Amino acid sequence: MTWQLFVFMLINGLCQGMLLFIIASGLSLVFGVLRVINFAHGSLYMIGAFLAYSLSTIFAGESLMGFLILLMVVPPAIAIIGFVLEVSLFRRVYREEHLLQLLLTYALVLILDDLVRVIWGGEPRSVTRPDLLAGSVDIFGMALPSYNVFILVVGPLIAFGLWFLLYRTRTGNIIRAAVSYPDTLGALGVNVSWVMTSTFMLGCWLAGFGGVLTAGLSNIDLGMGMQTIIECFAVVVIGGLGSVGGALLGSLIIGTGLTFFQLPFGRWALVFPYALMALVLVVRPWGFFGKPER
Amino acid sequence: MDDMTSSSRAGWISGITVTVVLFVLPVFLGQLGKTGEYWIWVSTEMIIMALFAMSLNLILGFGGMVSFGHAAFFGVGAYTVALLMKKADFPLYLALTAAPLVAAITAAIVGWFCVRLLGLYFSILTLAFGQLLFMIVFQWYTFTGGDDGLHGVPRPEILGPINYYWLCLILFVICFLIIRMIVNSSFGLSIKTIRENMERAKFIGINVRRYQLLNFIIAGAFAGLAGGMLCELNRFAQTEFLHWSKSAEPILASLVGGIYSLAGPAIGSSILIFLKIFLQQVHRSMVEVWAIVLGVLLLVVVLFAPQGLVGLYQNIFKKSQS
Repeated sequence: MTWQLFVFMLINGLCQGMLLFIIASGLSLVFGVLRVINFAHGSLYMIGAFLAYSLSTIFAGESLMGFLILLMVVPPAIAIIGFVLEVSLFRRVYREEHLLQLLLTYALVLILDDLVRVIWGGEPRSVTRPDLLAGSVDIFGMALPSYNVFILVVGPLIAFGLWFLLYRTRTGNIIRAAVSYPDTLGALGVNVSWVMTSTFMLGCWLAGFGGVLTAGLSNIDLGMGMQTIIECFAVVVIGGLGSVGGALLGSLIIGTGLTFFQLPFGRWALVFPYALMALVLVVRPWGFFGKPER
Repeated sequence: MDDMTSSSRAGWISGITVTVVLFVLPVFLGQLGKTGEYWIWVSTEMIIMALFAMSLNLILGFGGMVSFGHAAFFGVGAYTVALLMKKADFPLYLALTAAPLVAAITAAIVGWFCVRLLGLYFSILTLAFGQLLFMIVFQWYTFTGGDDGLHGVPRPEILGPINYYWLCLILFVICFLIIRMIVNSSFGLSIKTIRENMERAKFIGINVRRYQLLNFIIAGAFAGLAGGMLCELNRFAQTEFLHWSKSAEPILASLVGGIYSLAGPAIGSSILIFLKIFLQQVHRSMVEVWAIVLGVLLLVVVLFAPQGLVGLYQNIFKKSQS
């Protein structure tokens, strides 16, 4: 492998990883505060992608303005769906067993995925990239789509934004306190259930954001939610459940790993996330950045 | 949930009644021509999936461990039958014997790692191993046929639809009795003790991990048999059998039926399959929205009747008694 190819693949892998991070960080954040693994996170991500597709047919996605509108409208829309779900359903099972929580979110997967099929049908679709991002950048004689570069820029921005929110603002202090000591936080007069609702909405916002970005990157279809949620599980498990920094590390490992293993192993590279996830769970169940519990 | 002494006789009577009804059922369905044949096929599938659900409930309800990778053993059983019969010309009875064995060996390997983890982490690891096996079957074209699956599994000539139904029913009844025996044995009681209070189980000298692993292997073996039976019914094995969404099916069935009862999962599974087929017969468009119906049903059960139908029945029954 020449070093040019190496750099090219590294960039591609990081791009995949960044996209995965945006989605998986939402899952991890929600788990951290709500202690619920949300199977429906993948479905919300898929709804985001399909919503972006529908809006792009209205707003003419070729213009940069149209694409920015998608990025500004779709994620909040998913956050609102999240708000409704959290207030009406999730809230009722926080004190229940894991089984009931998992099944509640799985029921939502069944409902939401089928709704997407009923509304949008089964054909693969895609969003036209804005002209500005439709070209490609020359990297050592290999053409890297500018859209990938765009994701490579947006991903770290989101990561930085999350870090800033969590570690440099009062809101972040409260969210982190809700992760560690929800009872104490409540005793201090903070409305913990509102913290949970807003964290859940933030998680959904991230899922929606990832959905819009994916719609521009590749074809979107009905299987994307199911597939992505498992990849997100892998990411979150590797990094540590509830840790956003861990999600970043996990995403980058999975993203670059998938890209690099494709060269020697072909389609078998797809086994990598599951194998790594199983390995991490066996050796260090709480992941790289998580804390051992229970 | 375990009031064996009082309801034991009633249990035997209703059990035998149901079995007899199920045995004569295909004779009547057979008179109905094509529709009857279709319903015999559906009933056979119900029996098989009931066994699958009951096998999972050994871990889920009695063991208190939520496995999201149980379909892996179901699929391994199915592929064992398909491969042995298609590529090695094994007779059916040998293939159906091999299916639970191979599944049990797989479960032993997977379970050895999984029982080391608790709660949510156990669930995720079973999911990871399940998907790992799914991916291997999915990618290994030369051996498993990849996403095409393996079609044209041979069927012995004497096994027409009705005969195969009877075979499955006999196997189911045998498995039901074995599972009942396991649940009521000292092993089964230990498993329930672990579910209720793991610390205490350790204190009284129960080797928690070994018991859980053994339980996991037994459950895997029954799932493998169910998978093998379904493979022979459909005469194909496909990767979908191992997918994690297939693992969710017996969980839903168990929850709907009631996870703290022996027959609950079997009842739940049969009801869900019947409901699905029934709605499809009522109107074609119901095929499209079946997942929504199932999802809403599941939501209702989770929120309002987490004990399932059997629990609901027991609640009402006990109230009317007192």
